[in-house]
Amino acid sequence: MKRPRVVSERKRAILERSPPPSNRSRPHFWLKDESRREIEEALAGTGPLPLYISKTAEAEMRNHSVSSGNQNLEAMGLLLGDVFAHSKKSYTVVKNVVTTDLQASGVSVSFHRNGFETLFDRLDEADFDYVIVGWYHSHPGYTCFMSPKDIETQRRMFREDFHFAVVLDPLKLQIEAFTLYGEGCISVPFAVYWEEHEDPYGRKKLSLKPR
Amino acid sequence: MTTRISVKNAETGSSVEMELEAENTVEEIIESAASYWEVSPGAYVLRRGKAVLRGQSTIVEAKIREGDVVELIPDPEGG
Repeated sequence: MKRPRVVSERKRAILERSPPPSNRSRPHFWLKDESRREIEEALAGTGPLPLYISKTAEAEMRNHSVSSGNQNLEAMGLLLGDVFAHSKKSYTVVKNVVTTDLQASGVSVSFHRNGFETLFDRLDEADFDYVIVGWYHSHPGYTCFMSPKDIETQRRMFREDFHFAVVLDPLKLQIEAFTLYGEGCISVPFAVYWEEHEDPYGRKKLSLKPR
Repeated sequence: MTTRISVKNAETGSSVEMELEAENTVEEIIESAASYWEVSPGAYVLRRGKAVLRGQSTIVEAKIREGDVVELIPDPEGG
């Protein structure tokens, strides 16, 4: 019996596109002051950061990790987005996240074996041609780092330069993004961005027109 | 007789055209795709629409037909 045979491949092109502008991007508010300053400086520079996360995706990850953390459980999901290039550098944009029922404890997490149909429903609800650009999970109360199991997951599934792992600690209010580097992972700077029509930090002035 | 399907790699957006025989299993589809993209086959599930395709099913049992598009989805574990 013959094994399945790959006869052709169609690669996805990386489009040239400007990253989210600095007036609609900011460091995450769970970051320490030093990290926030570094990201603010990088946002004021010319090149893109390696990773941009939409305010919507950030809020969903954070809320998921907080609600699970209140039960001393880890949270987890997939990062949906795309990869772009600008100034000869590639960068990743996370537009949304998806998750489903989990098999979780305070120190481990995976998708529940009966949860895939819900996960696929949510993938189908994405209103864009997504790439799964990484995953997020939480460490309730034991800080942000990549454990040996996390690094193994990153090696097995998320080994491209544009793949990232976001780790949140909802009890210590910490967040960090990682990518593979050598035998392990390194922390990478990222920004939270929002669309022009959004105003997540209430910065737009109210326009009160006289009647 | 062979069946030709498209396998999408959800992690890169790339896809391959794959030729199958009736006796081929879902597990073999995952292994062939994973081998082609040099990733670990045990770390993925295969979906067609909203359904998970189970590993030991043949393509006949899984009702995979000419022109179907299936997608390789990562199944991460964190700790």
